[in-house]
Amino acid sequence: MDVKKPIANPLIVLREEFDDWAILFDPDTGNAFGLNPTGVFIWKLLDGRHNPDDIVNRLREEADNVPEDAGEHARRFIASLEQQGLVGYEIEQGPGAGTGVRG
Amino acid sequence: MKLMRTPKKVDIDITNRCNLRCRYCYHFESAGDADGDGDLPAEEWLRFFGELNRCAVTEVTLAGGEPFLRGDLREIIRGVVENRMRFAILTNGTLITDEMAAFLASTKRCNYVQVSIDGSVPESHDAMRGRGSFARALQGLQALRRNGVRAAVRVTIHRKNVHDLEGIARFLLEDIGLGSFGTNSAGAMGLCRKNAEMVQLTVEDRILAMETLLRLSKQYNGRIQAMAGPLAEARTWLDMEDARLEGRPPMPDRGALTGCGCYRSSLSVRADGVITPCTMLSQIELGRINRDDLATLWREHGLLNALRERGHIPLSRFPFCEGCDYVPYCTGNCPGLSYTLAGEVNHPSPDACLRKFLAEGGRLPDRALLC
Repeated sequence: MDVKKPIANPLIVLREEFDDWAILFDPDTGNAFGLNPTGVFIWKLLDGRHNPDDIVNRLREEADNVPEDAGEHARRFIASLEQQGLVGYEIEQGPGAGTGVRG
Repeated sequence: MKLMRTPKKVDIDITNRCNLRCRYCYHFESAGDADGDGDLPAEEWLRFFGELNRCAVTEVTLAGGEPFLRGDLREIIRGVVENRMRFAILTNGTLITDEMAAFLASTKRCNYVQVSIDGSVPESHDAMRGRGSFARALQGLQALRRNGVRAAVRVTIHRKNVHDLEGIARFLLEDIGLGSFGTNSAGAMGLCRKNAEMVQLTVEDRILAMETLLRLSKQYNGRIQAMAGPLAEARTWLDMEDARLEGRPPMPDRGALTGCGCYRSSLSVRADGVITPCTMLSQIELGRINRDDLATLWREHGLLNALRERGHIPLSRFPFCEGCDYVPYCTGNCPGLSYTLAGEVNHPSPDACLRKFLAEGGRLPDRALLC
């Protein structure tokens, strides 16, 4: 089971447009990335408290006809967000050092 | 057409003051020239930026007046950055120092700074903007370029520079080495309306400007751009004339008041904090920053939604358009100019009327000049 719990980069703006579609806007680069409604659902759960399995379980609770391989899709989606610097992970930095986010 | 949940962009006049009094400024003596009690304090703008952040607005344009007159401009820009937005600035360029340009570059959030340059020599620029403004605008422009800030130059075409267009293109694209520049013409708003006889292009001037700009745009491989003014009109009108001659069916989104839909994606704020649909419609007061909820206003304000419905009003309804063969290909153009010239927003703009232009002796350029 994947225990890493991704966190959305707090700098990134989620602009929900219409019909539950949205864009992620990176103000540092000006780049924008389109999200379908499932992507929006996942993005909102990238809070450092849910791993990909948790997220897919939540998706199955909320939506009908979620495909068998949704978990794999969700992992790939989150990995692509990480590659673009839109998502990071909270990591332990040692006793007394608090936590940090890498992305 | 579906509506965004919140505006994507907001245009803000952060000051009503300016160090110049350009004879064709659309701002002064328009409804946007809102006196109030001087500039709103930075705190008001910073609080408003927090709301823009919550609304997921991605870009603000800072204008005025002259934005660089504000001593607290850096604080305001830092507020934009801290609230996850990018910004652009519209300026006359005369107050931009190297230090300020370096600061703008350091934010990494500046889309562009638009500087007005209206001539290749001081005479044609300073004629409308005041003595010494050409040299100082160029200094500002070069400070931006030295510091790696994207500088967008806008040339406003008027009676005193319409014969200098070749020189302007050569100066900006060859001597200075800009990648491109934009053009417009002095629109019949604000001070321009008052000084129309001195400023606004005659029919002959418009013919000259359209022909020259099309030729120069071709010569410089499309590096001269326009969203409005003679170059944009030349392209649109040639397309409309071709459509008419070929008897083409009505164009999509034409034949009604579809011109400009800025209020579907953006809002404006006057220097006194009053929210308006657009800087060209600054007489329409929708609310006030930090008092009215922006997202609610955006979705529910009656005047704003009425503007958005304007595109359903057919041009055939207007006596002004009666018998016009161009109606199926026409958008009615800018509602701001319609209001200024015809006295109502829901009217086609007389200034952008091809039939009127031809009736007054106008002539379309040779279409071989198109890129």
